[in-house]
Amino acid sequence: MERSFDNMFDYYKHTSMFWNDMISMMSSKPTSLTAVGPLRNFTENIKKISQELIESNQEIVDFNSYLIEYYKQLGETWASSQKKVMAKVSEMPQDPESMEAYKRIWIDMFENDFTQLFDTESFSKNYNKLVSTEMQLLKRWNTIMDIMLKSANMPTKEEIDEIYQELFNLKKQVKKLDSSKKRSNRK
Amino acid sequence: MTLETSVNESIIGDFLNFNKNIAEMPSKISVPHEVKMDTCDYDVVYEEDRIRMLHYKPLTKKQIVTPLVISYAIVNRYHIFDIDPKKSWIRNMLESGIDVYMIDWGTPTKMDKFLGFDEYVNGYLDNCIEDVCDRSSVNKVSLQGYCTGGTLATVYSALHPEKVKNLIATAPIIDGWKDTTVVSNIAKNFDVDKMVDVVGNMPPEFIYYCFSILKPFEQGIEKYLKFFQNLENEKYVNSFLKIEKWLAETPPIPGELFKQWIKGIYQENLLSQDKMFVGNQHVSLKNITMPVFTQVAVGDHLVSPECSMPLHYAVGSEDKNLEIYPTGHVGMIASSYSQKNVLPTLTKWIKTRSD
Repeated sequence: MERSFDNMFDYYKHTSMFWNDMISMMSSKPTSLTAVGPLRNFTENIKKISQELIESNQEIVDFNSYLIEYYKQLGETWASSQKKVMAKVSEMPQDPESMEAYKRIWIDMFENDFTQLFDTESFSKNYNKLVSTEMQLLKRWNTIMDIMLKSANMPTKEEIDEIYQELFNLKKQVKKLDSSKKRSNRK
Repeated sequence: MTLETSVNESIIGDFLNFNKNIAEMPSKISVPHEVKMDTCDYDVVYEEDRIRMLHYKPLTKKQIVTPLVISYAIVNRYHIFDIDPKKSWIRNMLESGIDVYMIDWGTPTKMDKFLGFDEYVNGYLDNCIEDVCDRSSVNKVSLQGYCTGGTLATVYSALHPEKVKNLIATAPIIDGWKDTTVVSNIAKNFDVDKMVDVVGNMPPEFIYYCFSILKPFEQGIEKYLKFFQNLENEKYVNSFLKIEKWLAETPPIPGELFKQWIKGIYQENLLSQDKMFVGNQHVSLKNITMPVFTQVAVGDHLVSPECSMPLHYAVGSEDKNLEIYPTGHVGMIASSYSQKNVLPTLTKWIKTRSD
């Protein structure tokens, strides 16, 4: 049965996942023989790490396109501001007073144009997509780190977060008890 | 064929001087991180987790009974209120006979990422005010909040009106939908859940990014050019280093608080719409019935006046005052302008409404 793919990414993802699983299954026996002790965990987890890396492909592409758009917006604003500055200062004489005036015109023009850019919906939307994709990539990195930490028998971010949450709740409870004790002492 | 160019001699002279100043700079001025930030003496009178409360030593023989508690912003540190003796908000208040306390929110760690409005308002701020009341043997204090600290002070006054004698809101963030700054433009589309889920606390680096899009050329280029040109001016250099150090020292913001802030204030505008809940309690601005003084700056590029002013119209107080100043966000609290125009009116207002 032949599968059809909507785009190259899906094809690439499917092919990578297929070989990732196949290699993992085919090599499980020899790996079991060679890897002993805590390291065995790691070899078993390599498949999960590969999966994360394959999954992150689309996000890397998205991140790059948002980043390109981000620099495009900055670059176009820069070019347009510079053009305006040049048009304004081309007739100015070359003396110290004019240098100061040139600097003022340059800063005012750039400040104004860039503030206008930062104020647009298109900048805000693209910037936030860029940050959001960066966070998604960071999340994948955290998952990979967690897999490695688990293999090394160390606490993962998720486990530490659980402890933080537990401590936070305990602290809150102690504070509540403390303040009710204070209140009853006052009475 | 010869190409002839003529460059004015004084331009070359200025250029050479500029380079000479850069080369000689390290031997002339202090290392930035060694610069002392505060000018008034204080004692740390209360500490809880990362937060501290400072009590400034009086500068007058007689002081008014009602103390003033300042809830500083959660971005940057409190030093800006006392960074230069001639522009010090604190010194001016002390010289006017006001007993001043300052809340330093400290530097949250990863463990503090679950702290939200409830912990800041009903926990830390309430405990600080209780402590001041015990110390001064009073039942109420005057409460001032600046910027994000103004929002915390406003929420506190709505939930605990019995403990606030006067509320002073200096550039508070109230109506996120009306904010016209570039910061709010970023905040409105921000995926805060994902950010907090992945990084925990809001990192200072992101806050620096937000600062960098505010006047990037004036603040990022011209300011430093001016600095290099004024290396001989000791007063200018000192003030420059202190401000730079202050700008560079912003703590992270606890993840939960940041999430509630962006979603509740900027994206859903809950406070202004009378839909905000903190610790399961409804925050109604109509509960604010004590005297209220709202201060806004026309040139504020961090919190636009339109964002702060709704407080004046939403509170239930009959005794309320709104002042609009032709200055900026920092200029309103730490400048010669504020010493001459902002503080005299405010100190007079506080004194006539205090015991």
